[in-house]
Amino acid sequence: MKQNSKLRHQEEQQATQQQHSEQKTDAKEFSSVDEMLRHDASQTAVPPNVADKLNRSIASEPQPASWLKRLVNNLKVK
Amino acid sequence: MELSLAEAVQPETTARPMNWESPEFGAIYEEHSQAIFYLALRMLGNPAQAEDAAHDVFLKAFRAMKEFRGESNLRTWLYRITINHCRNLAQTWHQRNIFSNADESVWETSTHSESPLRVLEIKELGERIQKTLDGLPEEYRLLLLLVADEKLSYEEIGVLTEQTADAVRGKLHRARKAFQQQFPKTA
Repeated sequence: MKQNSKLRHQEEQQATQQQHSEQKTDAKEFSSVDEMLRHDASQTAVPPNVADKLNRSIASEPQPASWLKRLVNNLKVK
Repeated sequence: MELSLAEAVQPETTARPMNWESPEFGAIYEEHSQAIFYLALRMLGNPAQAEDAAHDVFLKAFRAMKEFRGESNLRTWLYRITINHCRNLAQTWHQRNIFSNADESVWETSTHSESPLRVLEIKELGERIQKTLDGLPEEYRLLLLLVADEKLSYEEIGVLTEQTADAVRGKLHRARKAFQQQFPKTA
């Protein structure tokens, strides 16, 4: 019984340590506001919906162009 | 004749108008859409609205492209459309006007040291940045977002925000301080 309790305690400690190490892996330090914002911008992807919706909007314009259709098709292939 | 990507994204040097059928617009979208979406996202603070805004900005640019003659940097031109569009949206929705008339001196009395900005969970970074920016005056928010784009010079930021490059430098100093003061409070 006592051994079981000790084992559980060890497991809990291990789990906490693992959690801390995972947090450390995620942690990042920025030396400036600019650097932080640049990182944030680089991690922000444009939703594919934008190109898709733009393609539809341009298709309904008086002189539709083919460039965006190709772009959207390329994005879909990727 | 089709232009190469490098030629397409440098209309300020080629200084010639583009037309509706131009394949260059595809390259322009690929080159600038991330920057435009990011600016809209952080100005509006809402991903769905930013998505609509990015679409509207590029549609406006597409319609006006034939009038673009390369007097200014293309990215600056796109940013101008984005800033005006987002400001109009914010006014329409009566968003973010709480701090718009705030006394700037409030942000100049920071007692915090300029310590490095540390985040434990990188996935929470965007949320915390948004909260911090939302708490700043609109002018500071915009300056910080524009200067984060390394492709823009202080002069170009000055043109976009209608002030001199020196004024941009001065305000940026205060904006960075205000951000550093606010950021720890979002944890």
